[in-house]
Amino acid sequence: MIVELLAVGLVVSACLAIYLDEAVYSIASLACMLILMAVLYAINDAVFVAVFQLAVSAGTLAVLFLAGEMLSEKPEKGKSLRKIFSIALLAVVLSLPSIFLSVAVTPVNVSPGFSFADALWSFRAIDVILQGLVIMTVALGIAIVLYEQKADES
Amino acid sequence: MDYMILSVVLLAVGIYGLLTRRHLVKVLISIEIIAVAASMNFVLLASSLNRPLGEAFLVIAFSTDACVTAIVLALLVIIAKKYGTCDIRKLAEIERSANERQTSVEA
Repeated sequence: MIVELLAVGLVVSACLAIYLDEAVYSIASLACMLILMAVLYAINDAVFVAVFQLAVSAGTLAVLFLAGEMLSEKPEKGKSLRKIFSIALLAVVLSLPSIFLSVAVTPVNVSPGFSFADALWSFRAIDVILQGLVIMTVALGIAIVLYEQKADES
Repeated sequence: MDYMILSVVLLAVGIYGLLTRRHLVKVLISIEIIAVAASMNFVLLASSLNRPLGEAFLVIAFSTDACVTAIVLALLVIIAKKYGTCDIRKLAEIERSANERQTSVEA
């Protein structure tokens, strides 16, 4: 039952994130969706991924909130509450096939013989180290681009 | 409960937003939803098949996704400062009028 409610919540918040005009409300809806997704991961025994998802999405959402507040103009007329409810209802209808239909074959539960930590550090250690390098490079690149933009303005 | 269908529904919502929204922040949100839908499919299948390698791969994919968001936001800030708008159609009009001006100067 909880998983079904999570599925409905995911689709409703995704639809509202797209539909709502004001960027801040839209990003708040996206935040709700990402939190529900992390709970879904945790319920399905992917706890590490859930924690990682929460950590990454916290950073992403903070920056998105700032950018949304900075870059968006306030719409002259907001969406009516009735329209918002009808979109939420449509989203509930959209989420019904995932609850009642099934296309997946029954998974064969074979033990792979290694844990998540083994998978991360034995098979993907170089990737994990290199991704730190990629993140540092991206941060440096963005800082340089924004600095050059500021220098051009002044 | 079928996660594959849920993933397809979220993907469809994201693509709809990508095609219909005009504000660049909304386009970025749509891209986020598409990325989350794809990663959800990956994580939950890996989890149900008891394959931790899939989850480990996704941890790396999340970081890449965050990098993409950061780069797009930096470009967004630059575009908003340079052109004064984040509306895709207005930006396309500005681009078109700039191109026309350049061709008339060349002629």
